[in-house]
Amino acid sequence: MGATSYISSGIIEAYVSGLASSQEREELEAAMAQYPEVAAEYQSCQHDMEQYIIYQSVTPPATLKEKLFSQLDTEETARANGTYVDEDAIPETPVRKILVSSAWRWVAAASILLLAGSALLNYNLFTRYNDAQQKLEALAVSNSSLAAETNTYRTRLEQAEENLHIVQDPSMKTVKMPGTKPFPTALATVYWNQTSKEVFVMVNNLPQPAPDKQYQLWAIVDGKPVDMGVFETGTDAKIIQKMKSVNNAEMFAVTLEKKGGSPEPTLDQMYVAGKI
Amino acid sequence: MESAFTYTESELIQGLKAKDQKVFSYLYDRYSPALYGVALKVLNDESNASDCLQEVFMKIWRNIDRYDESKGRLFTWMLNITRNTAIDTLRSKAHKMDQKIQDIGDDVHLYTGNLAVHPSVDHLGLSKVLEKLTKEQRIIIDLAYYKGCTQEEISKVLEIPLGTVKTRMRNAIIQLRNLLKLV
Repeated sequence: MGATSYISSGIIEAYVSGLASSQEREELEAAMAQYPEVAAEYQSCQHDMEQYIIYQSVTPPATLKEKLFSQLDTEETARANGTYVDEDAIPETPVRKILVSSAWRWVAAASILLLAGSALLNYNLFTRYNDAQQKLEALAVSNSSLAAETNTYRTRLEQAEENLHIVQDPSMKTVKMPGTKPFPTALATVYWNQTSKEVFVMVNNLPQPAPDKQYQLWAIVDGKPVDMGVFETGTDAKIIQKMKSVNNAEMFAVTLEKKGGSPEPTLDQMYVAGKI
Repeated sequence: MESAFTYTESELIQGLKAKDQKVFSYLYDRYSPALYGVALKVLNDESNASDCLQEVFMKIWRNIDRYDESKGRLFTWMLNITRNTAIDTLRSKAHKMDQKIQDIGDDVHLYTGNLAVHPSVDHLGLSKVLEKLTKEQRIIIDLAYYKGCTQEEISKVLEIPLGTVKTRMRNAIIQLRNLLKLV
């Protein structure tokens, strides 16, 4: 911009009236350093502005001068005593503007929007995180119950394999025990290993006993009943249960006895019996 | 304490820098009406303006070493201190935009002027100047100078487009300068 356009741009008038922004002030100061005619025009304009200000002079209250000099004396005494604390430096620049530049206002507005957006996003993510957490917990629960089921099945399978193993043993002798006259539908099977003399019993069909009762297996050896132990029935019981061993027997039978078993069989409670 | 003689500007500055209280007293007598006029127009309250003026002269006394003759006249420097101090006071009193506008409307000093009893002031000259300035021209100058309004604020107060604020200010000051030539 040339000197003439500076002079006619209104920037000098803005400067002397205090209206110029800090950027405009810097521009004009640079222009004054460059063009003497701009500096001269500024001087003249500033002088007239000051004349306008002087025209509006008002004599201050008469007591003010005394107050001022009394403050000045106090301060100078303090300064001489070395107790004076230097007060704020005066700002040399013309009045600061309150309004920030529009660019900064946009930045501020954008920041607020970003903050609001971020808060919303955080809320969303937090909600989703909570959902995910709950789902994860539910999955963990169902996973552990699945694991427990799997364990149950594995145990059952192992038992079944073990049972199969017992049954498949070539030295195993199968003794079928059909129901007696009072219990015609009852059925149980004894597996007797001829080599190891181990005895196993399998319940095919026996009624569920009262809680204080248990079935007891007997071996008839030389015409006399020998206790082979009590066994469980029902779904929780092993399919094939190991009993006491016996070297030889003519017959096996099952009676219903009090819980824990009896030393002698209760003959009218004999459910099944089978000869070898 | 009234001084009977005058100093040149450079004598004044030298005396102040030497912390000569006689020179300071002269400075007060000579310039306090102009500076008080500024404080009063900014603050529109005699008590606040008195406090402000006292603070201004203390700043002048303390900071005279910072005054740089090459950057402008002593009076310009003192006016800047006065205007800045008064406008800072105005703002610290949490004056809002509305208040500023109302102040302009209520300001008795702004239009009628509780005019100076200072010998250097030509009452007739002032009233001539002010009569020939339109109300809008005075307001735009006074809002900027005495109330420290920005271009944006003036645009809102006077309900004129932001882009025309500087042009109107230029026209107002050109008119003011032309009138001053006639005084």
